[in-house]
Amino acid sequence: MSDLEPVTDRTHGSPVPAAADTGPTPPPARSARSRATERVIGVLALVGTVFTVWLGLWVTPPDRTQGDLVRLVYLHPGVAWVALYLAFGLAAVSSVLYLWPRTRSLFWDRLAAASVEVGVVFNVCTLVSGSIWGKPTWGVWWAWDARLTLTAVLLVLFLGYLALRRIPAEPEVRARRSAFVALFAVLDVPLVHFSVNWWNTLHQGATVLNPGLTLKIHGSMAWTLLLGFVSLTLAFVWMLLVRYRIGVLEDWLDANELDAALAERRSEGAGPGHTVPSEPVGVA
Amino acid sequence: MRYIVAGYVVILGLLFLYAVQIVWRRRRLARAVARVVATATATAHDGAGDAVATSVGRHP
Repeated sequence: MSDLEPVTDRTHGSPVPAAADTGPTPPPARSARSRATERVIGVLALVGTVFTVWLGLWVTPPDRTQGDLVRLVYLHPGVAWVALYLAFGLAAVSSVLYLWPRTRSLFWDRLAAASVEVGVVFNVCTLVSGSIWGKPTWGVWWAWDARLTLTAVLLVLFLGYLALRRIPAEPEVRARRSAFVALFAVLDVPLVHFSVNWWNTLHQGATVLNPGLTLKIHGSMAWTLLLGFVSLTLAFVWMLLVRYRIGVLEDWLDANELDAALAERRSEGAGPGHTVPSEPVGVA
Repeated sequence: MRYIVAGYVVILGLLFLYAVQIVWRRRRLARAVARVVATATATAHDGAGDAVATSVGRHP
């Protein structure tokens, strides 16, 4: 290989002008509009969450049965909603769109990866806050109840998805196998949802997403619950946007960093008094 | 009441820490991209002159 030939991009198979041209093309920059949108969503999520906390802790009344413990309802179902239905649901849809030949694009793979990572954080929040609620209500931190166990299984499955993505592979291979794993893992979501109907469990039945879609709480409690859902959904969207950009930058670096390093080494070797070998050792 | 406060602190604390972490990751990666682009561009300019000198040395 000549020193002035473009270095082949080993990740995407496209030539990258590393040494002979003006360097690799930087990843597309975010537009001012997308930055502004991200900022607005972030601010709305923050303000909504602060209001939810204020209403949940100081304004809404205690429950007749649970007393003050009911205040956990303003956050716990919200994080569960984001993790199970939004994040893992979006990951499943993105995975299908990646596997579908007509819509195949690494965009869907990056979106699924971002969604799963954010979803895992919300899933951890769901399990920990549920455990904190369970201790004063049931007397134990953890019970091998159907809903709790299936939610923990869901977390393990999607942690496996994230681990799988870290195995070095071509982007297309990684995207394909990740999509299959996401579609397998998401099969657990309907099991979690219907577990309270199918088995006798400690966990209460659906409060909002019940078969009749009727809210089983009223007044300020219902509005605070809905505000919590909206705020956490906005927080999810904001995190998804930030995490998606991380995926774009990581993929770009994977594709270009090695070539840039090679070009730099080649330049160092071509200094005064050095002879550049025509075939660099260890480089195909 | 301590269970309620613990629940709120855990949820909001985890989400806040994750938000800070992804913003920090994005900034670090953006800086790395800028560094690679700058290095490659500088190398391309330097390399052009070196390549001429090298080819002259190989074929006297």
